[in-house]
Amino acid sequence: MRSFIPRQMMITKVNVTPIIDVALVLVIILLVTAPLLSVADLPVNLPQAQTRESEDERNLSITLSSRGELALDDHIVSRNDLLSALRARLERKDNENVLVVVRADMDASYGVVRELLEVAREAGARRIAIATRQKTGVVQ
Amino acid sequence: MPRRWRMRAPESIHDVNMTPLIDVSLVLVVILMVATPMAFQSSIGVQRAAQAGKAAIAAVKAERVEITIVSADSVYVNRTAVPRASMSLLLKPLIQLSPSKTVIVRCADQVPHGTFVEILDEAKQCGAANIAVVGG
Repeated sequence: MRSFIPRQMMITKVNVTPIIDVALVLVIILLVTAPLLSVADLPVNLPQAQTRESEDERNLSITLSSRGELALDDHIVSRNDLLSALRARLERKDNENVLVVVRADMDASYGVVRELLEVAREAGARRIAIATRQKTGVVQ
Repeated sequence: MPRRWRMRAPESIHDVNMTPLIDVSLVLVVILMVATPMAFQSSIGVQRAAQAGKAAIAAVKAERVEITIVSADSVYVNRTAVPRASMSLLLKPLIQLSPSKTVIVRCADQVPHGTFVEILDEAKQCGAANIAVVGG
């Protein structure tokens, strides 16, 4: 015998609940990870280190890529413009005591990194750190 | 006489719908895989050697710990050449004796940044509280 389902009882709409679920989770995750992703998309092989300091802090990052390109946060800048751009950022009201992190490729020569540290000091950075990649293993 | 159909009650859903849960879990896994390398970035704080010197003006010069990196293989601790492998053996007691626990690092320009960071890391592991960089 054929079963009969009345027309009113059939589900004709697409169930959008899973899509809304996923979309909301994505929005929340992007909101949380946005500060972490505010670095330039340049190839940088950070040196490894076991010590960890100030990793979750809001910061301004100066990136020196393996090809020698420079970036301030996610904006690519030239060597000449770096000082003025960094100074402008540090003069903002909420950036007075912000940590400036130098993210340099491990194969870059120290002379270039030293110049970047000098530029950061000259621009008015009070706190400077050198970015590292967490070495896996036992922390002493 | 027309035949009257009896309306059947719709079959109830007994199983929990797992699809949204699996959707969300997979999205989370992908996002974590992408974000992990960035989340594991940390840093080592450095000071300028001049500032550290002013702060520790009363410190006796003999108690200062100075590391000079000449090349990737050649390191001097307080003007004594030491092999890289045994640097921490000499550095640890010196830092423990130092009241300020400040290590002053000077590095030649041609040394790779990776080597410089390795030595900062080693100094930190030996107990250095502050690291001051000459010229930085």
